[in-house]
Amino acid sequence: MTASVISAESIPGTGRAAQGAIELRQVSKHYGDVVAVDELDLTVQPGEFVTLLGPSGSGKTTTMMMVAGFEEHTAGTVLIDGRPVDSLPPRDRNLGVVFQNYALFPHMSALENVEFALRMRKVPRAERRQRAEEALGRVGLGKMGGRKPRQLSGGQQQRVALARALVFNPAALLLDEPMAALDKRLREQMQEEIKTLQKSLGISVLFVTHDQDEAMAMSDRIVVMRDGKIVQSGPPEEVYNHPMTDWVASFLGDTNLIPCTIVERNGEEAVVDLGGLGLAKVRDRGASGESYAVSIRPEHLKFRTRASAGNGCAATLVSSTNLGATVRHRLTAGGHELQLRELSSDRGTRILPDEELWVGWDADKAQLLVLES
Amino acid sequence: MKTTNPQHRLLALLSIPAFLFLVIPTAIVVPVALNDSRYITFPPEGISFAAVAGFFADRAWTSALTASLQSAAIAVVIGVLLGATAAIGLHGRKFPGQPAVVGLILAPMIVPTVVLALAFYQFFISIGMVGSIVPIGLAHAVIATPYVYLTTRASLAGLNPALVRSAQSLGAGPLSVLRHVYLPIILPGLISGALFAFSVSIDETVMSLFMQSPGATTLPVKMFTDIQFNLTPKIAVSSALLVSVATIGLLLQVLFVLKRRSSTRMLPLAVSAQT
Amino acid sequence: MSNATLERTRPRGRGAPPSADAPRRRRSGWWLLLAPILAFDVVLFLTPLGKLVGASFADNAYQRVLEDPLVVRALVNTLTISLASTVVTVVLGYIIAMVLWRAGTVTRVILFAVVLLPFWTGILVKNFAWAVLLQDNGMVNAFLQGIGLTGAPIPLLHNRFAVIVGMVHCLLPYAVFPIFSSLASIDDRLGLAARSLGAREGAVFRRITLPLSMPGISAAGLLVFIISTGFFITPVVMGGPGDMMIANQIDYYARQLTDFSGAAALAVILTVMVSILVAVYQRVLKAGGQHEDN
Ligand SMILES: Nc1ncnc2c1ncn2[C@@H]1O[C@H](COP(=O)(O)OP(=O)(O)OP(=O)(O)O)[C@@H](O)[C@H]1O
Ligand SMILES: [Mg+2]
Repeated sequence: MTASVISAESIPGTGRAAQGAIELRQVSKHYGDVVAVDELDLTVQPGEFVTLLGPSGSGKTTTMMMVAGFEEHTAGTVLIDGRPVDSLPPRDRNLGVVFQNYALFPHMSALENVEFALRMRKVPRAERRQRAEEALGRVGLGKMGGRKPRQLSGGQQQRVALARALVFNPAALLLDEPMAALDKRLREQMQEEIKTLQKSLGISVLFVTHDQDEAMAMSDRIVVMRDGKIVQSGPPEEVYNHPMTDWVASFLGDTNLIPCTIVERNGEEAVVDLGGLGLAKVRDRGASGESYAVSIRPEHLKFRTRASAGNGCAATLVSSTNLGATVRHRLTAGGHELQLRELSSDRGTRILPDEELWVGWDADKAQLLVLES
Repeated sequence: MKTTNPQHRLLALLSIPAFLFLVIPTAIVVPVALNDSRYITFPPEGISFAAVAGFFADRAWTSALTASLQSAAIAVVIGVLLGATAAIGLHGRKFPGQPAVVGLILAPMIVPTVVLALAFYQFFISIGMVGSIVPIGLAHAVIATPYVYLTTRASLAGLNPALVRSAQSLGAGPLSVLRHVYLPIILPGLISGALFAFSVSIDETVMSLFMQSPGATTLPVKMFTDIQFNLTPKIAVSSALLVSVATIGLLLQVLFVLKRRSSTRMLPLAVSAQT
Repeated sequence: MSNATLERTRPRGRGAPPSADAPRRRRSGWWLLLAPILAFDVVLFLTPLGKLVGASFADNAYQRVLEDPLVVRALVNTLTISLASTVVTVVLGYIIAMVLWRAGTVTRVILFAVVLLPFWTGILVKNFAWAVLLQDNGMVNAFLQGIGLTGAPIPLLHNRFAVIVGMVHCLLPYAVFPIFSSLASIDDRLGLAARSLGAREGAVFRRITLPLSMPGISAAGLLVFIISTGFFITPVVMGGPGDMMIANQIDYYARQLTDFSGAAALAVILTVMVSILVAVYQRVLKAGGQHEDN
């Protein structure tokens, strides 16, 4: 089952007007002394897929609950399509919510679950049934409407939850770690399906996860949160390749962090002194702090010949580990330990430990960032 | 978010009469007993211990109190011994007749007390055992034992039978295993079971009524007989005594629940409520 | 003493066979712990009940009691009073359980204590207190006169209303706990989900909370009904002559008429009724448990 079973064709009322903008202005949430969310500014454009990514306790769920209207914020304003909704109860916010465990009603069939929102909106019986069946069909469960949630697999339950959240044409979709309970393969499949569905519906999505791969795979924009604050936000590649701090760099995956001092900064580029590794040209986002480092992802380090131009240095191989699709090499260079990852298929001649090598990287793949820790 | 919405306020409002309904009857008992009046009224007209003194000066009432305490003592001792040994004996063990044995142990809880009362009444007459507190205590022990069994079993729930085996493989004899492995673990269950047993016996009325005799009239039986004629201050004092016992039992139970963080565990499935 | 367990876990075959008398010694050690309670229950529980059943078959007792209009009346009373008490108890119990469910930890413990207080208090004490409250010059009448609802005291005691009040007060804890535990097993997020789908509080209650707490309600209802059918003290203390229940009729046969076989027959009828209800109750408990699992 590789092809997506979710399709957006023939959905009544899919011709959405440009709607579904979510905006948080200076929103805070305090639980007694605990500051769960701290003066957050966040925007989701109509049709945009925005992911809140952060470690446990960073305030992702709290943020989402405030958007949905389940938690009252302590300060600030939440706007949906430009309208403040602070005093609106959840039922009037017109947002589809998918919870971590799906929160399907166990005593209702899949179809009744999907019908629920239409029933609450007093949609006539016949139309209600038809729309619910269409919504189930859209998520590939056309024939499963009569089943109770406990008779459905995890993936199927998730689809019912999606159909239930979409059937009333909400302004936007909120998903809180919707795939945490699924195994890896199913998770990847659902990621694709949700993404396809979102694109075809053109609906805005606010998505919560602490899985960086999931965030990378699905988002138009990633908002990295820590301790109730946004530490960086931008398109996945940008956040990944150009982290602003060492914390963001490490949170989003493996990286080589090389402490440095700045020699010269001019706009997008800077020249830094990497100590034992000499001088190098790197990307600069203008962040300033007390101490700096350069982040280079392991897959951006390359074996080079000494003659080739650009950044590079001599290195000694310590060990190599085959990880299947990729090979991870541990190196030492100029007193630093480095990791280099290459595709197994790119692996050239077998290299031996203690062999002298030359490694290099492209200047735009090395990011100057602020050392927080 | 839990309390702010109007529906929950409506619920809280609705529940006030329900909680008052629960509390008020128990709450008025002590003030009524201390009422400074020859009639039973509430609110009391003044505080006095005259009724209390009257109660303790009245032979009929003090001997009823003694009878009640005696029957409770019999019920607690027998209940604790039988309930605890049964719980230990059945712990971690499965055998063909086991459900039947457990069923027999718990059965006294589901037979209506009036049926048991009649059965005991006939039985003790037929074996010529009448006119003393002993048959009443034995009858109470029958209905109190399942409670002790249940509370002891609950406290054994966390004990791994393998631990017992390992103690035995280290050479511990049966008595030493009982004392050093089981006793420390079942002690809380035993204490609360004993409490239940005491409370069941001290409040039991129907069986005691059927088996009463001039020398063996318990407090509830005396109350039951008097109450049908008049509401007297001595009944009030007796009620106040029983309420004090209940309050102690309740406080101990709440402490227990708090310590264990489980709110329903201590509730027996008692069907033989002392009706 | 728990050597029986040891024995079962030992691999069969191969090893040296246990000495001939060892198993017997082990088994006897283990039975020693069960022997007292079994002996006690056989002698003091099964024997009296057996004698009771035996006595019930003498003198054509069943036919005799079932033809007695007083018995028929008592049976009808038992059913109607138990049913009314059950309905009131379950409704009140549901309200209390909802409050417990919604309360914070500290409030919950206090309210639990309030619910448990009547549970620990003996029935005579509770009935006495109600008699004091409901008598002609009692607090309830004083209150009703105070707010001008009535000029003269209303007779609140020694009638069916009083019996039901007294019984409900005794029965409430038995209803609160099953309902509370079924409420507590409902995932909070179901309510949130329903709200996000457009449900008002009323709809959340009607369509989510109530149906999902149904197992608790039926368990509570059955348990309360089972207990109700055996009430003896309350009809005497709080009821009038027309409110006698089946238990009172047993007493009447045994101690007034000294008709043992008649009393025994009535007792057997009551026990059979209760046992059937208990069996149903256990079904309901099991079904409820299954529902939770899924
Ligand atoms: N009801 C509450 N009362 C007190 N503190 C709370 C409450 N809910 C959340 N918090 C605190 O607020 C902070 C943010 O919690 P939140 O659930 O939003 O984190 P999260 O990013 O969703 O984490 P996770 O990945 O574990 O779900 C945490 O420190 C948490 O302890
Ligand atoms: Mg969360």
